[in-house]
Amino acid sequence: MTPRSWLVLYLGAVVAITFIHTPEVLAALLVIVVAASGTLRWKLLRRALLAILAFNLTISAGYVCVALWQGNFVADYLLLVNLRVLLLVYIGFWFVSSADLLGALSGWPLATLLATLSIGQIKTFERILRDFRLAFQSRNLARPKLIDRSRHAAAQAQTLLDKSLASANEAALAMRSRGAFDD
Amino acid sequence: MHIPDGFLSPQTYLPAYAVAAGAWTWAAKGLRESLDETTVPRLAMITALAYGLGLVMVPIPGGTSGHALGVAMLALIFGVRSAFVAYSLVLLLQSLLFGAGGITALAVNALSMGLVGAATAVAARRLLRRFGDTLSVGMAAWLSVVVSGVLVALALGIQPLIAHKADGTPLFFPFGLNITLQAIFLPHIVIGIGEAALTVLVWRYAKARKWVFP
Repeated sequence: MTPRSWLVLYLGAVVAITFIHTPEVLAALLVIVVAASGTLRWKLLRRALLAILAFNLTISAGYVCVALWQGNFVADYLLLVNLRVLLLVYIGFWFVSSADLLGALSGWPLATLLATLSIGQIKTFERILRDFRLAFQSRNLARPKLIDRSRHAAAQAQTLLDKSLASANEAALAMRSRGAFDD
Repeated sequence: MHIPDGFLSPQTYLPAYAVAAGAWTWAAKGLRESLDETTVPRLAMITALAYGLGLVMVPIPGGTSGHALGVAMLALIFGVRSAFVAYSLVLLLQSLLFGAGGITALAVNALSMGLVGAATAVAARRLLRRFGDTLSVGMAAWLSVVVSGVLVALALGIQPLIAHKADGTPLFFPFGLNITLQAIFLPHIVIGIGEAALTVLVWRYAKARKWVFP
């Protein structure tokens, strides 16, 4: 299947899932997609559970409190909403790990251009932040004071933006030399 | 203030996608006209910064999350159209890579934060320009967060009204407007102050490097 077909299939599945309001069906679908996702299944399931944990716990706990207080608590609702969210997030992660995201966006050149550059920038940010953190740790045996941490954060932010801009400039010049802005 | 996946009914997100499709086409046309080797790296940098800011989020009991947006800095530096496209991309990447937000909520999130948030920031900056850069940029950023928060609260709060079983049990988001408006609006008054400070800092960074603003 082409990346575009994966995208269409994924989007169709997302819409279909939101029309299902039976927890048993959603649970069965979850079992099917977990089984179908092969060796990645436990990694994907763990990621999906971690991604939804904070929000769903907050909303579920809020619902339990409000519904019990108002005397209209329905356990099925909790099952329905949590299974639906888990299923949607799981198939999203499965799609990203199985399909080429940039390939799926290839029909929209502007989106591909921005996604490529932004993902490049995100990687640059991650690398700079890691380097700064490790350098700061290696220079401080004891926990630094708040003022030192503030100075470090300010210097880090400045470098982060400058390095990021320099790296994006290089990418843009490379694109210019290949005629990316000529159309 | 992302709305997570699975909490919006198809009656909400399908029409929202129809509206967003028109807005994305309009915004992409404007962005294409302004892209060159100077604006592209800057836009990519600020987009990546907005992406990073949006990932530091705290769940809010009203059903969403609190975090800085970065949409005001995008809008004030690049204009509403570019900010809307760039922020929509941020939301797409966050939802696919981290499960933050979601595909079903993408259109509502993009319209409320990326479009209305950006337009609010630009309008507020124009109105308040005579009070100086710091105040006008800060207020623009604060307002963009608060207005976007109210829209997100409205989208979530109408779910129990439009999507429920015959016995009244909700099918998607469980809390009505009486809860969502307070739960989302109040924290975002404070979050907006952080957003304002960040936006002023980035604005000064851009100004010091003599970037041309729209």
